[in-house]
Amino acid sequence: MLLWFLPLFLVLIMIGLPVVFALLASPFALIMLEGDNRNVVAGLYRNLYNGMDSFPLMALPFFMLAGEIMNRGGITLRLVEFSQAFMGHLRGGLAHVNILSSMLFAGLSGSAVADTSALGSTLIPAMEKNGYTRRFAAAITAASSVIGPIIPPSGIMIIYAYVMGESVASLFLAGIVPGILVGGGLMVMVRLMADRYDLPKAERIVTRNQEISQVEYWVSFALLRINVAGVLLAIYSGLSVSVGLAAINEAGDKVHSLNLWIVFVGLLIISHFMLMNYRTRVSHDFRIVCKKAIAPLQTPIIILGGILVGVFTPTEASAVAVAYALIVSFFVLRSMKLRDLSEVLTKSALATSAVLLLVGAAVAFKTVVSLSYAPQILSDYILSLSENPLMLLFLINILLFIVGMFLDAGPAIIILGPILGPIFVDLGVHPVHFAIIMSVNLTVGLATPPMGLVLFVASTVSGEKVETIARAILPFLAVEIVVIFLITYIPAISMTVPYLTGFLGCAPEIGFGACISPVPGIN
Amino acid sequence: MSVLLGLLWPLERFNTAILAVGRVIAVLALAIMVALILGQVFFRYVLSDAPNWTEEGARFGMLWMTGLMAPLAFRMGGFVSIDMLERALPRMISGLLTLLLLGIALWVLIIAWDRGLNNHVDTLSGRGCSSSLKWPFGFEYGKCGNKFQNNYQYASLWVGVNLLILVNIELIIRQIIKLMGRGADLNPLGADDFQGAD
Repeated sequence: MLLWFLPLFLVLIMIGLPVVFALLASPFALIMLEGDNRNVVAGLYRNLYNGMDSFPLMALPFFMLAGEIMNRGGITLRLVEFSQAFMGHLRGGLAHVNILSSMLFAGLSGSAVADTSALGSTLIPAMEKNGYTRRFAAAITAASSVIGPIIPPSGIMIIYAYVMGESVASLFLAGIVPGILVGGGLMVMVRLMADRYDLPKAERIVTRNQEISQVEYWVSFALLRINVAGVLLAIYSGLSVSVGLAAINEAGDKVHSLNLWIVFVGLLIISHFMLMNYRTRVSHDFRIVCKKAIAPLQTPIIILGGILVGVFTPTEASAVAVAYALIVSFFVLRSMKLRDLSEVLTKSALATSAVLLLVGAAVAFKTVVSLSYAPQILSDYILSLSENPLMLLFLINILLFIVGMFLDAGPAIIILGPILGPIFVDLGVHPVHFAIIMSVNLTVGLATPPMGLVLFVASTVSGEKVETIARAILPFLAVEIVVIFLITYIPAISMTVPYLTGFLGCAPEIGFGACISPVPGIN
Repeated sequence: MSVLLGLLWPLERFNTAILAVGRVIAVLALAIMVALILGQVFFRYVLSDAPNWTEEGARFGMLWMTGLMAPLAFRMGGFVSIDMLERALPRMISGLLTLLLLGIALWVLIIAWDRGLNNHVDTLSGRGCSSSLKWPFGFEYGKCGNKFQNNYQYASLWVGVNLLILVNIELIIRQIIKLMGRGADLNPLGADDFQGAD
């Protein structure tokens, strides 16, 4: 009897009941019909509460808040100008700029909707002015915005990690390469289209003789040198054993012959001279544009750096990102006023409260999923279709793609994660790998008709009809589908970074293949 | 019709006022959450002595933020749903379907209200004391003394359910008025650019 809650749930969401109520209504109805109408329903209510009462989940409002503050602080134009300084001169320059800006924006916001509305309002008019059709400009904005939730920080990955009990940090790290791959694929498509449709080049520098405040200049000056020295230190630390500058002691720790702080100061001096040398080769305008983008672009470095080095948990990193965004917006860029803060906080609280309630309902729903043996029954059914895991992954990708057409990524993950996750993990797919397959696939669904959320946002921003954008986006969707299958069948794309950084929880002596494939024979 | 409009008028104003108060508290809760977690990092790395209550305090804030803000999100149409069928149906049938959906939502909320009060807030665990959250300045209250009672935290969701019920009833009355052809008389609820985790 309890198994009927799944079809009932599907009927309820298809007729338009908000997902959060459907997640509760279907189990409530069937449990009450079964006669146990007190304790189990009370248990579901408690799970709804416990589902929201979570420390890792707190990263969600914080990342959203950091993105809102940065966005309000006027970073969009800085990122666009920075991207244009690097890619504007190529054929189809502004389309490339749109994609690169989305990739950079992804490191700050983690939301495809925020990406489309912020970048679209700046770039779509600029692209039209440069000779692109409005539908092309809207389509590339929508297509590239799906990178937002793939490159960390990512709201949907926080949700997935929480609902499925995975590590947020490992999902963040696993999303980096797939996000870059989607961006790279879109750039290749733009390059091909540039030849065919004679897409124009653009100026590398939009505004000449820009001014930069003293504070921003010196902050960028310091941050750039610290970052370059940090990269050099990481290389030094990685190579130090092989060149004899460090030894491994009995406990397996690296023992450096030189104090790392002294090495860092030395590398800071070296990086200063490297950058001074580079400075002579580029124009004044190029340098100013780059300097203006450094403070905002430090956000993902702080988040990922903090998590990687083990200084912060992802939740703490998100709170630090909020503090950094506030400092940059109020004191460095001086683009935000105190009166803006209440609106930014309201917007973040409003958006996350709906999502947190949904996550709580999903945890209650997950209990009924387990009680009903639905994953086992579905697993038997799926395995009856084929015993070949590669074929099953193909089928599941098609299912996810269809679901993504109708439902936003967050709710889709909440609903399908507890059902599909255990089945594929039992089949030997690494949980982190499956999380990335699911996240990327459902995120691409945000840009697919008929219910693609970013298509509607792109339509609002551009004034172009949704149907027109939906047709223009098809070549870019084709690229994204190819990337989904690459990610599915080549686990190394998503798993290498978390493996190399030790976030997959494998002992170093276990090889990559054994680490990512709990059951031999699939990966 | 005048009865419905007479019912809606006070409810709409009450909801607007109470949700505005909730919004202020939720915004403060979010700001305090950030401050507590930053404080946790500061105390751990700078003073080498992280307090044990910051994490629970921040979760307390998050639960109340959700309880007080989710009803506003519901009122603004911010709860995710697939509205393709509603859009595809003729106006009258679509209106009736919306009414049915609001009825189902109300049924869910009433069950949650009952279980929330009787099986969560007012239970042995609910009357228990928090492990780490304490009143400041040595203040003592109730049987837990200087510690928070668990149901202060548990009440966040139940209060949210109460507010959701009020909003739901308001939306039902609005929908009936719309079905009776007087939709133009209603004040807009003002759903601006709502954005979720996507």
